[in-house]
Amino acid sequence: MAQSLEIRVHGRGGQGGVTCAKILAAAYARLGRHAQTFGDYAGERSGAPVRAYTRVSDQPITNRNKVYDPEHLLVLDDSLLGEDTLDGLVPGGTLLLNTAAPLDSLGERYDRCRLATVDATEIARRHKIGTRSVVIVNTTIAGAYARLFGIALRTLEETYEELGLASNFPAAREAYESVVERPPRLAPAPRPDGKVPLFNTVFVEPLTAHLESPPTGLRTGSWSTQRPVYAEKLAPCNAWCPAGNDVVGFLQTLRREGEAAAAAVLGRSTPLAGVCGRVCPAPCMEGCNRREYDGSVHIRGLERWISDHTPVAVRTVVRQVAPFRVAIVGGGPAGIAAAYELAKAGHAATIFEGEKELGGVLRTGIPAYRLAREVVDREIGDVLSLGVEARCGEFLDPARLEALAAEFDAVVLATGLQRLTGLRVPGAELAGIEQGIRFLHRVNLEGGVRMDGHVVVLGGGNTAMDCARSALRAGADRVTIAYRRTRLEMPAIREEVEEAEHEGVRLLMQRQPIAFHGEGRVREIVLAEVTMGEPDESGRRRPVVTDATSRFECDHVLLALGQGAQLGILPDGWELRGERVHRGGTPLAVFAAGDLATGDGTVTHAVGNGRRVAGLVLQALGEDVEPFARPDRRHAVPITNLRLDHFPRAAPAQETCEPAADRRTRFAEVNHGLPDGSEADRCFSCGHCTRCDTCLVYCPEGIIRRRTADSGYEIDYTYCKGCGLCVEECPREAMTMTTL
Amino acid sequence: MLEPTRERPARTAPVGEIPALGGMVQTAADRPEPILRPGSTNCGGCGMSIVWNLLSHASAAVKVQIVIPACCGIVSPGKFPFSAYGAPVISSTFASTAAVATGLAQVANMNGDPTRVVCFAGDGGTYDIGMATLSAAAERNEDLLYICYDNEIYGNTGGQRSSATPMGASTTTTPDGETLPKKDILSIMAAHRVPYAASVSLAHLDDTMRKLRYALDRRGFRFLHVLSPCPTGWKSEPAEGIDLIRYAIRSGLYPIFEVFDGFRTVVNLEPDFDDEALEKYFAAQGRFRKSTLKLEAVREEIRRYWEILRSRTGLGTVAG
Amino acid sequence: MSIQFLSANHAAGAAATLAGRANRTGRGFGGGIYPITPQSECIEYLCNQEFEKGHFVRVESEHSAMGVCMGFAFSGARTFTASSSNGLAYMTENVIAAALYRLPVVMMAVNRTLGPPWNIWVDHGDTLLLRDAGWTQFYCEDNQEVFDSILAGYRLAEDPRILIPCLVCQDAFVLSHTMMNTEIPDQELVDRFLPALDLPHRITDRAVTVGGLDFPHETEAHRVQHAQAMDRVWEVYPEVQAEFAAVFGRPLADPVVPYRMEDARIVLVSMGTTAATVRAAVDEARAKGIPAGSLRVRMFRPFPERILGEYLAGRPRIAILDRDISLGHGGVLWSETRGTVRHDCVLQNYVIGLGGGDIRPQHAAEIIADIGKRDRIGEPMIMEIG
Repeated sequence: MAQSLEIRVHGRGGQGGVTCAKILAAAYARLGRHAQTFGDYAGERSGAPVRAYTRVSDQPITNRNKVYDPEHLLVLDDSLLGEDTLDGLVPGGTLLLNTAAPLDSLGERYDRCRLATVDATEIARRHKIGTRSVVIVNTTIAGAYARLFGIALRTLEETYEELGLASNFPAAREAYESVVERPPRLAPAPRPDGKVPLFNTVFVEPLTAHLESPPTGLRTGSWSTQRPVYAEKLAPCNAWCPAGNDVVGFLQTLRREGEAAAAAVLGRSTPLAGVCGRVCPAPCMEGCNRREYDGSVHIRGLERWISDHTPVAVRTVVRQVAPFRVAIVGGGPAGIAAAYELAKAGHAATIFEGEKELGGVLRTGIPAYRLAREVVDREIGDVLSLGVEARCGEFLDPARLEALAAEFDAVVLATGLQRLTGLRVPGAELAGIEQGIRFLHRVNLEGGVRMDGHVVVLGGGNTAMDCARSALRAGADRVTIAYRRTRLEMPAIREEVEEAEHEGVRLLMQRQPIAFHGEGRVREIVLAEVTMGEPDESGRRRPVVTDATSRFECDHVLLALGQGAQLGILPDGWELRGERVHRGGTPLAVFAAGDLATGDGTVTHAVGNGRRVAGLVLQALGEDVEPFARPDRRHAVPITNLRLDHFPRAAPAQETCEPAADRRTRFAEVNHGLPDGSEADRCFSCGHCTRCDTCLVYCPEGIIRRRTADSGYEIDYTYCKGCGLCVEECPREAMTMTTL
Repeated sequence: MLEPTRERPARTAPVGEIPALGGMVQTAADRPEPILRPGSTNCGGCGMSIVWNLLSHASAAVKVQIVIPACCGIVSPGKFPFSAYGAPVISSTFASTAAVATGLAQVANMNGDPTRVVCFAGDGGTYDIGMATLSAAAERNEDLLYICYDNEIYGNTGGQRSSATPMGASTTTTPDGETLPKKDILSIMAAHRVPYAASVSLAHLDDTMRKLRYALDRRGFRFLHVLSPCPTGWKSEPAEGIDLIRYAIRSGLYPIFEVFDGFRTVVNLEPDFDDEALEKYFAAQGRFRKSTLKLEAVREEIRRYWEILRSRTGLGTVAG
Repeated sequence: MSIQFLSANHAAGAAATLAGRANRTGRGFGGGIYPITPQSECIEYLCNQEFEKGHFVRVESEHSAMGVCMGFAFSGARTFTASSSNGLAYMTENVIAAALYRLPVVMMAVNRTLGPPWNIWVDHGDTLLLRDAGWTQFYCEDNQEVFDSILAGYRLAEDPRILIPCLVCQDAFVLSHTMMNTEIPDQELVDRFLPALDLPHRITDRAVTVGGLDFPHETEAHRVQHAQAMDRVWEVYPEVQAEFAAVFGRPLADPVVPYRMEDARIVLVSMGTTAATVRAAVDEARAKGIPAGSLRVRMFRPFPERILGEYLAGRPRIAILDRDISLGHGGVLWSETRGTVRHDCVLQNYVIGLGGGDIRPQHAAEIIADIGKRDRIGEPMIMEIG
């Protein structure tokens, strides 16, 4: 009796089942056996089930039938384990299965055979054999087979060389090393007879029938190991927004549903959209993927446009049975934002403000030509209308704070940056040299402030711009800004700088004051030239003062060199750690918010931190809330992941401004905002599905459907071949391929 | 390299603004059942499937009868009596697409049926074996829409060379790479002075939809040529098919234009004649890997082709 | 009813025209046409007719001619074309396809020698090449029979029990270009004989895919169905004959046409016009007291095995006259007919008239003489007479 062996391979078109059978046959032939191999070809393509056969014998082989009763069965994909896959496997025969499933998890169906498994897909994928959607596992699994049946690695390697598959051998070796097996657990069952019927009596419609062809029902979804899913990702604007506004959300809502719906999105995170829409340095626009393409979406302008056309703050609050009472010290943006966040959740917030009205820097620092006071009034009014109480006109001392801490469930300190940075250079004490903040306070709250002659402003932030432009409006003949770094590093909003220049302000870059001259009153400033050195810890290059100096006559000097936190309000023994005040190491229900806590110095940062601290307060009080935290920018969708071909280039919309000649003498608002909201159409909507239908149209199988219940799509995975075109063509990376 | 002589034509509304194909897909304005239903045997990422989908949407308001010769397209529907096709489809012998369709169209017209007859054939059935039949039907100006989905290979038989195979492509019968440039099918068809002949881009939906609708609507012989990505034959990532078409168009390798009545020629998509696109097109496809073809030679082919094309559009020649 | 003096080519054209016009209330009439000698007269005739609902497409090849016919047929139109010789060979792929699709196309074939070298004269090798194509095949003897067979061919092909295309063959020049009186019925009668075609598998708007993939079992079943439809010809053809006689008042020829067979001990079996020549020789032989008879095989597919078996039973000497040769074997008619004979006899094959050699009664007389002398079967005998 001849020693003979029959092997059946179940694979999918493209996986290389036929080649797998061929490798086994070639290896046996190399060992001096007679071998035969052939595929069972059908009309189906990449991914469709295919069988292949190998016969081995020590006698010449004459049988040319398919293999019905294999001794060895290789299944290249565990999704191929259909009803008839194991048909005919002889008792005690071997089943080699490509699967990621652990051997022990495979059930009793396999108990009568010797079962071996290997994760050939993973190995082949790692060795980059095939494409992402159709991994070719034939050459890998053959390695596992060799191990099971004692074919030496060397023989296998020679076989691969012979067949021109040498580059796949490392994957085969890995499978050789990682295949695991278990012996049969049960005695072989008696073999059933006549499983493959000799005759077929199924009725077939004649071609002359009046037929309608039913769908194939071919479940092509099993052809791939990959599958697309809709997965919202972080848009860079959202990652960049310090206030935590859902920027992409309000832009897309504006586009789809109009300004009222967009305002509702904004109102979830900020009560100060009108303010931020005017004075925000707009980090979102820095992060915007459109910046590199054809210019950032004018997000700030759109935020303003929405808030100018419809109220943003929420009107209804969550009623609480027993609301918490929270005292907020400081009525600037952080305090207002914290109060808003608390009020929305139905808690009672009381704001203590030293000035006559709430607003803080919005009233004292930012000039009216940039931020119309009616916007401030309106938005603060909206917050108060939620039931927030304001107690103005009292600056608090430590004793009063201690009392508040006892009276209220919690206290939030949001007193901002009260410490001003001075200059330690000769002549700094001369009259005519003044802190810019003080100057702005006088201009903004007192009115009628006059300036004359040449005003020099020192600094490069928004305060410097505000000082310079306010000085012009107060009557200065000319204004010069001196800044120690370069223009690129100026923290001021770019448009503010440009507008200042349009109004006639002169910018002197890389200059640092080293002395003031004058008799009692400043008459001259000495500026040294500065070169840029190595970056400091903030990432900006460090200015290095040189010997080159120049002198300028001047009549006024305004210092806009930055501000710091002033913690004099804390009673003895109280200590601010991060955003929470501690006493003797024990946290108190006293928190710090906004610039006081973070020193970021912008309204938007203050809003974001106010929100966050309100959340921390509620969390500390036992509420189940997730305090706002800035997302990690590194997770934002990069421009390289967008399908830019779908987006025509279009320049950003421009805001309209008063002519420079008219505005430099008046404090009326200079910027009139965007003409309409159509700029939102430029939003790429990074990582957020817009129902643009691109996936649906490009799906070769036509199996993506709009869901009626919500605004998404669904994919019929019964048929999805996992080609990945939908994901690749998604203009905005709102989809991802997942591996099964 | 070449310089485009005209500005890019204005694009239509951004995708973000209006959904693809105007949002008509899967609405009452669309076909109740697609021409190609789920469960076809086509490979994942098959360009032909996408052509079917676009044709399906374009013909939403039109009754069609389709003739497909021996090619992947007649294996797609699967085993009798089932079918992945949701429209009447006849399989003709390989060379007979335009002949069988002629019969259908003649009888439809004779009986006043509103049916539009569509031929749907691969490059083998069009450029090669079906050429005489196609040429004759075009010359007779039969009332047919003939769509050639061109994957530049005999895909159904395992990837042999056709006269649409481009220079540099390895096939099972040109293992070292094709040495001849592909046949200029569109010019050949336009030379029959048929009412309409155009190349279409799967990467530019609006342009393609417009052409499909126009071609379905016009009487007489209409010919559309579609470069159709074939991940199996091109040895490329199934997901990247549409991007490959973009590269082919951007580089000028696949000119997108239409010819009306054999005379008026309009370029629809201006290439950038972008070297990077050309390099990416070749690098992303395994079929070009073995080729010793120099990109310089391809660029020269592109330059020559566009020079001729420019002269036909009457917009002057290209600076070379 | 009129008597017209026509070539058989024109008779075929006239029959097709009448059949086509009869479908004016149906989906119309037409096909693809392509010239080849000696058939061209037939399609030229058609191009000179006016059809209320009909059109012939002047295609670029025989292959496309049958392609267009398939399109016409799929659309439910009555369809016709004609070809010959190398044209049929070139058309073969679509000839097979039309049959596999079960389309009731009627084609007139003028039997002409296959080339090269080129020879335009009669030989049955061209249509016998198509014997396995799944069509019914009729070989005619005279002009009237060509006309009648085309009308009957439609009736048979379009019968819902059959739905098989029909090939009506006639000998080059001997028939095709030979003019004789032909009885042409009025359109009204043809309308009665050929009601409008209602093809069950006509392509409409319903989603049906015709001709996708058949796996082995589907092909087996489709072949069985085709074979069964061929078998039903034996049931349907007599009905067609009866209806033909009832409508037109004259008979339609049988599948096998006997002549002086009652006591014949030498039987000459032939097809086409050869039979007429044979009959003359039979008469001459009978006059000399030789008991000769003739069988003309008119219907070659389906093959009249039972009928031939009955006629040939017990005949001691059977001569099969083939105007064709299956090279490496012998005559096709011989190879098929000998299977119908169950008894010991001398069954001799005479291949005669290849390439259009003019078979005269004397040649038939030679055959009668030859077979009369034989006491056993010899190799097929190829007679050079041209």
